[in-house]
Amino acid sequence: MENNAEMQKFIAQEQQKAMVGEMVGKLTSVCWDKCITSTPGSKFSSGETTCLTNCAQRFLDMSVIIAKRFEMQ
Amino acid sequence: MDSFSSPTMSSSGSPGDTEALMDQIKAQLAQAYAQEFLETVGNKCFAKCVTKPGSSLSGSESSCISRCVDRYIEATGIVSRALFSSSR
Repeated sequence: MENNAEMQKFIAQEQQKAMVGEMVGKLTSVCWDKCITSTPGSKFSSGETTCLTNCAQRFLDMSVIIAKRFEMQ
Repeated sequence: MDSFSSPTMSSSGSPGDTEALMDQIKAQLAQAYAQEFLETVGNKCFAKCVTKPGSSLSGSESSCISRCVDRYIEATGIVSRALFSSSR
């Protein structure tokens, strides 16, 4: 039934969006705690911005290492 | 358990039914995401800005909270971009 196929596609897309959103949310929370150590100002310092970016990318690097390690077991 | 107020959906429903249901789901998802975000921001900013709760929020606590919300939204964008446009 066409409606069902469309609905399934829709659900798959929304699940994907939810997973991505959860990842971003968790990472922002973790990186905020790591990088924003003082009282929030009216803008980020360049150090804080760099830290946030590094934090997210290093987390990705770590995920690769963990996945590889897990594969070897 | 079913929070949708729509009538029973059968597989012989019109495409309009499916569309309406999808719209309803999207709206409820958006609301759920927004609620979760607000809860996270609230926790973070309370921790950063209200270190010694008094009998009311001071002016500096209020402006700290304001800035904190802006910064957290900005941080979400930075992390998002770092995840999805990393040139590696």
